Amino acid sequence: MVYVDEIDMDEEGIAEMMLDENAIAQVARPGTSLKLPGTSQGGGPSPAVRPVTQSGRPITGFVRPSTQSGRPGTVEQAIKTPRTSLTARPITSASGRYVRLGTASMLTNPDGPFINLSRLNLAKYAQKPKLAKALFEYIFHHENDVKNALDLAALATEHAQFKDWWWKVQIGKCYYRLGLYREAEKQFKSALKQQDMVDTVLYLAKVYLRLDQPVTALNLFKQGLDRFPGEVTLICGIARIYEEMNNISSAAEYYKDVLKQDNTHVEAIACIGSNHFYSDQPEIALRFYRRLLQMGVYNCQLFNNLGLCCFYAQQYDMTLSSFERALFLAENEEETADVWYNLGHVAVGIGDVNLAYQCFKLTLVNNNDYAEAYNNLAVLEMRKGHIEQARALLLTASSLAPHMYEPHFNFAVLSEKVGDLQRSYTAAQKSEEAFPGHVDTQQLLKQLKQHFAML
Amino acid sequence: MAEPQAAPVSSLPAATEHPKPHTKKAPELPILERKNWLIYLLYVRRDYDECKAVIKEQLQESHGLCEYAVYVQALIFRLEGKIQESLELFQTCSILNPRSADNLKQVARSLFLLGKHKAAIEVYNEAAKLDEKDWEISHNLGVCYMYLKHFNKARDQLNNALELNRHDLTYMMLGKIHLLEGEMDKAIEIYKKAVEFSPENTDLLTTLGLLYLQLGDYQKAFEHLGNALTYDPGNYKATLAAGSMMQAHGDFDVALSKYRVVASTAPESPPLWNNIGMCFFGKKKYVAAISCLKRANYLAPFDWKILYNLGLVHLTMQQYASAFHFLSAAINFQPKMGELYMLLAVALTNLEDIENAKRSYEQAVALDKCNPLVNLNYAVLLYNQGDKKGALCQYQEMEKKVNAVKERSTLDFDPEMVEVAQKMGAALQVGESLVWTKPSKDSKSKQRAALSGKSYSTQQPLGTNQALGQAMSSAAGYGKTMQLPPGAGASAPLAKPPSLPLEPEPGSEMSPEEPSAPTGAEEQRKEKRKSRQAAD
Repeated sequence: MVYVDEIDMDEEGIAEMMLDENAIAQVARPGTSLKLPGTSQGGGPSPAVRPVTQSGRPITGFVRPSTQSGRPGTVEQAIKTPRTSLTARPITSASGRYVRLGTASMLTNPDGPFINLSRLNLAKYAQKPKLAKALFEYIFHHENDVKNALDLAALATEHAQFKDWWWKVQIGKCYYRLGLYREAEKQFKSALKQQDMVDTVLYLAKVYLRLDQPVTALNLFKQGLDRFPGEVTLICGIARIYEEMNNISSAAEYYKDVLKQDNTHVEAIACIGSNHFYSDQPEIALRFYRRLLQMGVYNCQLFNNLGLCCFYAQQYDMTLSSFERALFLAENEEETADVWYNLGHVAVGIGDVNLAYQCFKLTLVNNNDYAEAYNNLAVLEMRKGHIEQARALLLTASSLAPHMYEPHFNFAVLSEKVGDLQRSYTAAQKSEEAFPGHVDTQQLLKQLKQHFAML
Repeated sequence: MAEPQAAPVSSLPAATEHPKPHTKKAPELPILERKNWLIYLLYVRRDYDECKAVIKEQLQESHGLCEYAVYVQALIFRLEGKIQESLELFQTCSILNPRSADNLKQVARSLFLLGKHKAAIEVYNEAAKLDEKDWEISHNLGVCYMYLKHFNKARDQLNNALELNRHDLTYMMLGKIHLLEGEMDKAIEIYKKAVEFSPENTDLLTTLGLLYLQLGDYQKAFEHLGNALTYDPGNYKATLAAGSMMQAHGDFDVALSKYRVVASTAPESPPLWNNIGMCFFGKKKYVAAISCLKRANYLAPFDWKILYNLGLVHLTMQQYASAFHFLSAAINFQPKMGELYMLLAVALTNLEDIENAKRSYEQAVALDKCNPLVNLNYAVLLYNQGDKKGALCQYQEMEKKVNAVKERSTLDFDPEMVEVAQKMGAALQVGESLVWTKPSKDSKSKQRAALSGKSYSTQQPLGTNQALGQAMSSAAGYGKTMQLPPGAGASAPLAKPPSLPLEPEPGSEMSPEEPSAPTGAEEQRKEKRKSRQAAD
């Protein structure tokens, strides 16, 4: 009923992100840590081409619950930013969803809980392995009572004289949930010594990623691949880590390896598709997304991406019908907003500025915090010559999404035109922070500094 | 940098008690000004942290009355971009010493940097009363008037500044004003003088070269741009302009090598990719051209020149649906251009929409004044539709234009165009009055002519378009370099030709932005459902 695979359940709440310090190195070398997005060494597309979610993390093609795109700097910042900007779900203060899962499962039994945990004599059940395993699964996954589960597992593993790898993995899982990462690592390692299992490798890699040691995790995956050649989950794990570290080209290589093994792997197809789209190859991206369509994936996002790929690959007969389908399939207002936003881009592409204006307006009606739409509306207003409106919209955009460089840069250009050099300078500085390699920002800053230095 | 002054505090007594060679005791400096030398030294060494520390100490000792400390503190704030704070401090300075023109000038400068031009003018006028012979005051007044669009006053002030003391910047601003008022020749005069005055300023050289390019004086343009590139080989604007000139003369490989130099420094510049695309187009590498142009279009969706070029290349590739799409987008952004309507009509002819093609030609003929190709294409279409009379009419229009062009310059007509025109003439039996210099070929039989006309109506734009395309690309080239809209980042200190309005930068040209992300979330949910079912 409510079983969710523990491997993909990886949520960090605000508390875990901010308040616990498991990473050893505070200032790691670039390329060895997940905390500093750093420079993309893989030569992926720049923010001028591929949109970013947080400063420096390009958007990915596939969102997992464990997707962490950047981390907030302080608790205050974490509370201020929109709730879904860092994880795939609205962020919570600590990983409170485990608790909620438990309460949700209670609702399924109208006559109260199935077993009253406090009345169980765990020592007695630990003697009977057949019962103990099922009971542990129930306590851990259904009731989400990690402490009782851990007690039971400890008794059971003692009973099995520490020879059963399964119990070790379960204890490790309990420790991981409780945040005792080093203890969890011990358990998983000893389980691996006993028995090579793919699951155990994945759990151990999760622990290392939590400790912010991506290189260790990569080595572990590669060892796992020696034991299980061609195991898809392991290759996919490697690709995810590379993507987290902004090394897009290596990530794409590994995703291709995944496809060689399993040519229906949705995550790999989506990631490679979006990579191709952003590296000037919409036709190839279109083929990947059509593949997803053939496999029976049928949702708003897919049709939206198909529409975009069709438009940029100049397949005009399929473009608008895909977008219509996407609008029809949208499940909530955010998705509708996304589709309208992209329709606005199509309108700009055919030169129909009024239609584009309406589309971006509709985007904002559906989702009021849509920074990109504010920015693009401001650009359209600027074309009409409405300076004040453009300025207000750009301010809104830059306050909603401080990690995007476009609103800052546009604001800087606008201010420089009317001669307000101070605001132009502060905006240009923010733009440089968001996208250090932007040539036009550099030129603008140089010019402003000349102004300031001149007597 | 210099090593931080070893404990200036402790060394201070030493500094003051420094025995001077003459026997008299050193004159006691008032405590206010005692450490100005040190502040100045640290400031010009750009040792701002140390400098701030000394200033703070000095202000504490003098209870905030040390004018120079406040002044330098304000300068440092200005360098850090905190104009508001520096304005307040400069105002303090001018209260401490109301008879100093310098302080007033700085207050006005801060106001100018904040965009308060009217207030700045008032303060500058105050400063001018205290100091009659200062070029800076006149220059800055000119710039302020320019922002307020009082061009006449601005011109007078800048000329005044030049009489007092000649500076590159003043020339630049004066040239800018002339361009804003649309007086090209006057602007060129100004820039000529400026280049004589300082022949090594690459900005001036580039700007002058671009102006010559706009006038079509290739020789002089090349000279000045070449000079600019000698002094600064990596100059982006000059390279782009030089490259577009080479393209106009068909040296595509040389132009490409020029572009390769700047492509690494400005990898996301729409004009650059546009010109590279047109280079490939000239070398008949159409697919490469399309991919370069599409990248440019992705980076700058509002640029009609890129759209025009895309339409042109697609016509050449005989992909008429895409060509129509790009050309109609270009018309939306630039509705006053004959050639665009002509190409649109060619695309429509091939999409078998003759009615709209005719309308489009009508529009093109109405808008266009000097390009005979428009009329010729229209004539071919009418002839193919069997409308001999209309064709004759257009043909005569074309002849008028040809004569006019011949009188004006020795422009070479595209041979293919000439050939088609002769065939048309033969078909319409007006061949005698032709103005072409080339000996006409044997006139063909009517059916052949009609056929060839037919076939030409499809191929017609191709050959001629090359010339056009090159011209366009170069136009796009220097049009863009000329004024590189703020979006394209550069802020050429030049006027914008009226053809291109302010072009905002390609905002967040995002595409499957978030939507592509949730795909995954969706998938995840799906998998969960599956797993739930499995659990069931």
